[in-house]
Amino acid sequence: MRHALMKKLLLSSLIAFAPSVGFAQTLFVDNAKQMGTNRTVDVIIEDGAITRQAATLRAPNGAERIEGAWVTQGLFSTMSSLGLTDIGSSGAGNDVASEHSHTNVSERVADSFNPRSIHIANTRRRGITHAVVAPRSGEGSIFAGTGSIVSLTGEFDSILIPEAFIMIDLGETGTQRAGGSRAASMAEFRAGINDVKGFFRRYQHDSHGGDTLSRQDAQAFTKAVNGDIPMMIRVSRASDMMRLIEIKEDNPDLDMIFVGAEEAWEIADVLAAANMRVIIDPLHNLPSAFESAGARLDNVMFLESAGVDYAFANLSSLGVAKPAILNQHAGNAVGEGLSAERALQAVTSTPAKWFNIESDTSVVWDGDPLEVTSAPIAMSIDGDAQSLESRQTLLRDRYNPISEDERPHKYR
Amino acid sequence: MKIIFFGISILSLDMLRKLRLKSKMKYRILLLSAAALLMACDPATSDNSDTSSSDDALPFPSTYQPMPSVTTFISNAQIIDGVSNEVTTGHVLITDGRITAIGPDIKTPDGATVVDATGRFVTPGIIDIHSHLGNYASPGIHAHSDGNEVTSPITSEVDAEHGVWPQDPGFDEALQGGVTTLHILPGSANLFGGRGVTLRNVPSTTVQGMKFPEAPDTLKMACGENPKRVYGNRGGPGSRMGNVAGYRKNWIKAQDYKKKRDAGGDSFKRDLQLETLADVLDGKILVQMHCYRADEMAQILDIANEFEYKVTTFHHAVEAYKIGDLLAENNVCAAMWADWGAFKMESYDYIRENVPFVHAAGACAMIHSDDDLNIQRLNQEVAKTWADGNRAGLDISKAEAWKWLSTNPAKALGILEETGTLETDKRADIVIWSDDPFSTYARPDTVMIDGAVTFDRASGLKPKSDFRLGYESLMEGVE
Repeated sequence: MRHALMKKLLLSSLIAFAPSVGFAQTLFVDNAKQMGTNRTVDVIIEDGAITRQAATLRAPNGAERIEGAWVTQGLFSTMSSLGLTDIGSSGAGNDVASEHSHTNVSERVADSFNPRSIHIANTRRRGITHAVVAPRSGEGSIFAGTGSIVSLTGEFDSILIPEAFIMIDLGETGTQRAGGSRAASMAEFRAGINDVKGFFRRYQHDSHGGDTLSRQDAQAFTKAVNGDIPMMIRVSRASDMMRLIEIKEDNPDLDMIFVGAEEAWEIADVLAAANMRVIIDPLHNLPSAFESAGARLDNVMFLESAGVDYAFANLSSLGVAKPAILNQHAGNAVGEGLSAERALQAVTSTPAKWFNIESDTSVVWDGDPLEVTSAPIAMSIDGDAQSLESRQTLLRDRYNPISEDERPHKYR
Repeated sequence: MKIIFFGISILSLDMLRKLRLKSKMKYRILLLSAAALLMACDPATSDNSDTSSSDDALPFPSTYQPMPSVTTFISNAQIIDGVSNEVTTGHVLITDGRITAIGPDIKTPDGATVVDATGRFVTPGIIDIHSHLGNYASPGIHAHSDGNEVTSPITSEVDAEHGVWPQDPGFDEALQGGVTTLHILPGSANLFGGRGVTLRNVPSTTVQGMKFPEAPDTLKMACGENPKRVYGNRGGPGSRMGNVAGYRKNWIKAQDYKKKRDAGGDSFKRDLQLETLADVLDGKILVQMHCYRADEMAQILDIANEFEYKVTTFHHAVEAYKIGDLLAENNVCAAMWADWGAFKMESYDYIRENVPFVHAAGACAMIHSDDDLNIQRLNQEVAKTWADGNRAGLDISKAEAWKWLSTNPAKALGILEETGTLETDKRADIVIWSDDPFSTYARPDTVMIDGAVTFDRASGLKPKSDFRLGYESLMEGVE
């Protein structure tokens, strides 16, 4: 019966959209477009796997021909809590933040990450192959912990960089964590840096000999203070970013990525001159807080013209479901005037370059990948076919109104 | 060309810009002087029939007045009218703020301002049935948290309109996304959250000036996790069982109150809390019910049968796709997201085809935002879910899917007679899109409310909240 449904799905989807793959067949994708180039490629997809991709290929015998498709690299979500929680509410099972722990920087999301979370597959089927997995700060510290870079294969070896960056909350969340003011959060930040710099002196006789970090946390912070890994810093207000640039001038090794950066446009030239990188949400245009009073949709256009290195993320309050609509966020930047090529880079090659991820990824889309109406029809990560099935598609197929399956839903 | 369109041709762009940078009062003067000019060359004046006497009897009556408009002829548009399942090519004529003709064969009347919409799309203004703009205004500080009377699970005496701040900058941004009417409702902490209010998305210093004339009042109710979480340690309800008992106990009280009210007499004393519920039983107030799970929605429908009232719309309804047929049988609408879920247990079973699946089951489906960013691009939310529905094997046209943005929300708010579709005699609430609104790249070029241009991209006309003032030297000064 399930088969009958799939057949029907296939037949009807051929009319309006390219078919979903995932069952035995060969597809020949003819002249797929590549964003930002005038070139096209032909792609052969066998049983859901992208088996060949070249400028010109001969269609295999019996292959079904697909036209109007696009090919991109896999999308890279630069902010997520994938694998850290099943639902957004607090409680056991939600590992995004620790409110009552005695540690901070040394808390590694790599220890929490569950590659089998249903949200990995729900996200992957939207063309996302890689993600930043970041902790959120808890009560009492601006230091949220140590974040990872993962691939979305869903396999147990999918943590590519366990200790990829240190997540730090400055801005208004950080001020609350630090006790109530910017002066306090910036003081805590400087103190953390100095705890690392004076590590041996401060902690030689006392594991709590630092100004703010315990010995274990100071040790975990060392790689970031030495500039071996970046600090990802949530910050919105232009003057806060200016302050951080000053801190970098005093500590030239620091490698900072600003996350949020709603007012980055006001200081785009300064950011460019200081080689600062920023992650912005191209949809943020409301003064959600006083610190983002200057938020505007064309933030990215100022960064682009000043030459700032930027990536995009969905930074809304949507929780674990956020990265799945990354293409919509990039597409809206195009609506504001950015070129499609640059918008795509901000969700693919730019973050891959930042974190030295050299995976070979490919996504075949049934239309322009930055249009919200488009979806992947096949994906691969390092040559391996990626399933486009997920808990969502299983629920969809169980309750599809065109299903002719008369059995109770639990037997479908 | 657009400048001529809204009738301020003799004001230079520079003047317009300067005026926009100054006070809101100046902005009004601009509009008024533009209107005066228009009246000089066009006998059409604004429609004043909105101040009907029936509103006067109610507290906080609407003082909404349409902004000045001119006779306008939108020509050669790709029209999605909210009624037909096809996109058609044709013209729209607007006279005195109403749609007076629509179709391929109408002629340009003498003196009408012509807007050439060749290659562009024209749709009804978007209606968002679930917004908290104004009652959770930006900036989102605690002082702006006016949308949820979290003091008791039964607060049917409160009214969302008393928590709406008309200066929420979110209204202006929503307008630029094509939202012309929106329904503001209390939050979902309480079983009976309070009354909701339907607003025109127009500049006004008062809420009364935004209230949709004669739109029915609504009652926000909530199922599931929120009430039991909020009140679990505060006297209950502490479970879904307690939720249902709480609804039933209060409907019994409302029945008793209604009996006394119907009987009248000196001994009858008004009770604001029960008055709202009795008005529901009298069919005067539409119930807007926050509910995620399929099994809970089915139980709510049984409660509605027991106490003989009607649930108009289930909001969020993340599992509506599991009971599309039940919703259709009971003639209940569902207002949903395209792809939100997993933020709590009752939203765990979210799928991207919820809206089209409910639609395909024959029920009244619609999109909603519940969010100050999402409300700015509800067309994209519909585009996403429409595409996924068709990918799953449905065959729904774009014009048919558009009903999720305006027609069905208008129906669910009891204002379909007035707005929600492009039909003769309706209010001219219209969006002219730069391109196909199912494209991520499309943007509203022009938004009209009652025929008056409230946003126009080319000329830079857009409303700006008082809150935005003082930032604009930065906002405007770069590029």
